Amino acid sequence: MKTIQHLALEALQPGMKVAEAVLDKSGNVLVPAGAEITDSMLTGLGRREVAGVKVEVEVAEDPVATEARRIATTASLDRIFRQAGDTQEARTLYQAVLDYRLESCQ
Amino acid sequence: MTALSHEQVSARLKQLPSLPSAVSELLASFSNEEVDVEQIARLIGRDQGLTARVLRVANSSFYGLQCKVGTINEAVVVLGFRAVRSMVMAVGMNGAFRVDHCPGFDTQAYFRHGVGVGLAARTLAPLTAQNPELAFTGGLLHDIGQLVLASNFSTQYAVALAYRKKHDCPLVVAERDVLGLDHAEVGGLLAEAWRFPDSLHQAVSEHHAPAAALANSLANVVHLADSFAHVLGLAGFTDELMMPIDRTAWERLGLDGVKCRKALAEIERCFEETCQVLTN
Repeated sequence: MKTIQHLALEALQPGMKVAEAVLDKSGNVLVPAGAEITDSMLTGLGRREVAGVKVEVEVAEDPVATEARRIATTASLDRIFRQAGDTQEARTLYQAVLDYRLESCQ
Repeated sequence: MTALSHEQVSARLKQLPSLPSAVSELLASFSNEEVDVEQIARLIGRDQGLTARVLRVANSSFYGLQCKVGTINEAVVVLGFRAVRSMVMAVGMNGAFRVDHCPGFDTQAYFRHGVGVGLAARTLAPLTAQNPELAFTGGLLHDIGQLVLASNFSTQYAVALAYRKKHDCPLVVAERDVLGLDHAEVGGLLAEAWRFPDSLHQAVSEHHAPAAALANSLANVVHLADSFAHVLGLAGFTDELMMPIDRTAWERLGLDGVKCRKALAEIERCFEETCQVLTN
């Protein structure tokens, strides 16, 4: 599964995918979310004294952790949907969020 | 007594300070075919705070521009007049109210939820051939009635918020029980007072009852966008609550699991950054 990790500049490798846009102090975007890390990007970020970047990292997850995550996600969704009613629309949206939460990064 | 009448709310709305001139010019431009874009860009340019925030949004990954825009004119050329208009309205209007003391009202959560609904509405808008930028503005402003109540009737509104917490009911139910009217109605009164274009008026006043609106009304999009923002827990409320989804609105947008899943990812992708560029 993919997780989002905040890595120091030295730990970044070309080819990694940026998970959250990198901003400068005034809120301007230096690197947009979804971009791939390149060598020249790392040089540029170093020059601007950016300490680290949030990137997507692929890690193997153990089954116990996967199940725990599914239970926690379901519990939190059950709470949000507590008054949503048992309709086809509510069920479809519920399933879509559950799938999205379990597939996507932490 | 905590009940409020439409007359009381309307009377208070008349005393509100006027909107920044750029924002009211832009509102008027919705019903004016011959818009003088340059004149409006000049008006926006005179308001430095507004200009700075609009440029920050324009340069954020929200639009994913290859090169930066440095002036309102450039933003209009690159992003189009409608996108800049939506942005200025969104940035200018939420800044018109100040909530000093309303126990139970979380201004930050209000704003984060608005951004979430704005992004969700922008993502869902193409499903009913709506303009995504207008949908974003509608989403961002949909709960502006809450801001009116929290800033102008803070004592009464605090009672409604406490009632909601105690009964764990939807906010509109608490508002109707305690105040006798809800934030969608109050938002509608504000939309009249400020002469919102019809599309935004409906997004604000009918987002809890979209079935009564027209099939192509922005109210349908904003109603569902509201649900999407709630299920993602974007506001950061501890007692996040999603109200039942209106089937008519759902069918009008032709939603299914795949479209929902795609929209959810798109909404979260831009969320934190959009909050940051709109608040700073």
